[in-house]
Amino acid sequence: MRNQLKFQIPKKGLTVWRLYGCFNTFFVLILAGVIIFLTYKFDWPIFIYFIAIALVLIVGITSIWLFPTIRWDHWRYEVREHEIEIQSGLFIVKRTLIPMVRVQHVDTAQGPILKKYDLANISISTAATTHIIPMLITTDADQLRARISVLARVAEDDV
Amino acid sequence: MSNNEFKLHPVSAIINFVKGLKDLIIPFLIIFVANGFNISFNPKDEGFWSDIIPLIIFSVITIIYLFSGIIKWWTFVYWFEEDELRVKYGLFVKKKRYIPFDRIQSFNYKEGIFHRIFGLVQVMVETAGSTDGKPEVVLTAITKDAANQIEQETRKAKQVRKEPIVVEGNSHTIRSEVEEISKTRIIHKMKAKDLVLLATTSNSVGVVLAGVAAILSQFSEFIPYEWIFEEFTSLIKFGFVVVALLIFVAFFIAWLISVVITFINYYDFTVVEEDDRLTITRGLLEKKRITIPLNRIQAIKIVENPLRQMFGFAAVVVESASGGFGENDKKMTLFPLISKKELYEPLSEILPTFEWEQPLTQPPIKAKPFFYRLDFVWMIPVIALASYFWFPYGLLSMLIVVPSILIGLWQFKTTGFAINGHQLTIVYRMISRVTFVVEKKRIQAVESRQSYFQKRKNIASVQATVMSGMTGATAKAANLNVSDVEEVLQWYEKSNS
Repeated sequence: MRNQLKFQIPKKGLTVWRLYGCFNTFFVLILAGVIIFLTYKFDWPIFIYFIAIALVLIVGITSIWLFPTIRWDHWRYEVREHEIEIQSGLFIVKRTLIPMVRVQHVDTAQGPILKKYDLANISISTAATTHIIPMLITTDADQLRARISVLARVAEDDV
Repeated sequence: MSNNEFKLHPVSAIINFVKGLKDLIIPFLIIFVANGFNISFNPKDEGFWSDIIPLIIFSVITIIYLFSGIIKWWTFVYWFEEDELRVKYGLFVKKKRYIPFDRIQSFNYKEGIFHRIFGLVQVMVETAGSTDGKPEVVLTAITKDAANQIEQETRKAKQVRKEPIVVEGNSHTIRSEVEEISKTRIIHKMKAKDLVLLATTSNSVGVVLAGVAAILSQFSEFIPYEWIFEEFTSLIKFGFVVVALLIFVAFFIAWLISVVITFINYYDFTVVEEDDRLTITRGLLEKKRITIPLNRIQAIKIVENPLRQMFGFAAVVVESASGGFGENDKKMTLFPLISKKELYEPLSEILPTFEWEQPLTQPPIKAKPFFYRLDFVWMIPVIALASYFWFPYGLLSMLIVVPSILIGLWQFKTTGFAINGHQLTIVYRMISRVTFVVEKKRIQAVESRQSYFQKRKNIASVQATVMSGMTGATAKAANLNVSDVEEVLQWYEKSNS
């Protein structure tokens, strides 16, 4: 059995995911509101009300509470001398192994919400794929980015 | 260094023009067919303006294409300077592109019908950067001498600096010309018999049938269905044999067409190895010559569709780092059709480090249901809906369960992987059986995947991604024992190599 990876995403990241979930729910809520209004106005069948309300509830529960919790629980990462290992996923747990030699560049990205919470996403690009470690504390993210770029430069392609 | 500027051959203006027209043909046809071919040229007629306006637009566009073709030829020059191939074009916005000879990976050639009449060739210059499916520079039409001259300039420039040239982390020295010629050897050549087999076992027969059906449906208003129907009912009187014969003839014609298409595309298909590069030539009317440097090959895929697997044939596809081999050649076909017995000899000639046949580690028996279980997620709603709406006959939709389970079982039987030194082999099947062979240093990332249900049974999937074109190519071995998946991950970790 392979070891569980060392680092988890900070608890703050979970909050941000929940916040994203709130936005999602809000969007669906507006949509449902419009549909309910139209149903009322044009006398569409009653069951449309229930479907709309159920939809909002389901989206709310899953995207604010359930999915962020599971995702946060699954998401782990480790940056070692020779490789980066990332574990992610919601229903399917993916575990990705990227050798340092393959890393072409590392980016950090930060939107307004992430900035408010002092978080940043790191994306690691190889020649064919891009991998993301989300929701890291900004200083950690910057350090990690610097570390990966140093390690990637040191690693020699001797295979 | 010569500072002469060279122009393209004037025919390239016509070729540009014709290429532009090709894009116009389909909308043009649609409008003509929609109008029913009866465009009136009498301004007093009612529908005159609505008919004539599209025609005017088309003629204006045609003239614009003609002029842009001429201008493109008129302004396009290329020359050699400071070990670079330099290109300049554009009328109002001048565009210049300088490509150092060192960076040129390969030259690909194409000879269309126009080219062949005038003894010309289209040259596509390939560099490491052109992964987006487009060559860096296209010289639409130049004489063959000029094409040779470009290649010689490149070779000369590379020879002057005899030091190793670093290309993508792989260093290799360019050898002298004499050595190169002596190293040339033919790897594979397709005979007429192979081409017929290729056409028969590919899906092109079906494609041709579908194409004919599509064209017929486009022109449906011109086909006298009633008349055909009457004829047909009288035919049925002749009996079942005639109808069967007709269907057989239709298939035969479709097969003939697909043989002809295959001959046009693959005629004289030859693979030549020369100085660490593979050169592939093919085509009857339009000749193509494609070069891949061996060190750009990322992975090899041996693809057997069910029909070919039955008769012991396979196709070999190369995943290459450079994506641009012209419009339709996203994947490089190395051998379009080769018998599995003869397959390994030329392959190991090209890539001697690979081991081709080896025992596979396969998924455990307990993983069997995982190969077809997920299909029920979409099948059950489909069956339910079909049964509900078309009640008695809709129940027949339940029959799709049988083939989908059979395919799942077949995938289970096929799937497997093998590790051998620095080499990873993954075998999987969607419909066709694919053997994916890759070296460790070419793999960009390895990923294991495990769902909740897989975790309960202690199985997982593993996939490897290599660079290929823009998105990369991925091979996945599904539902293996967790310990086997971990073996792959560990093998990929540098510390254990």
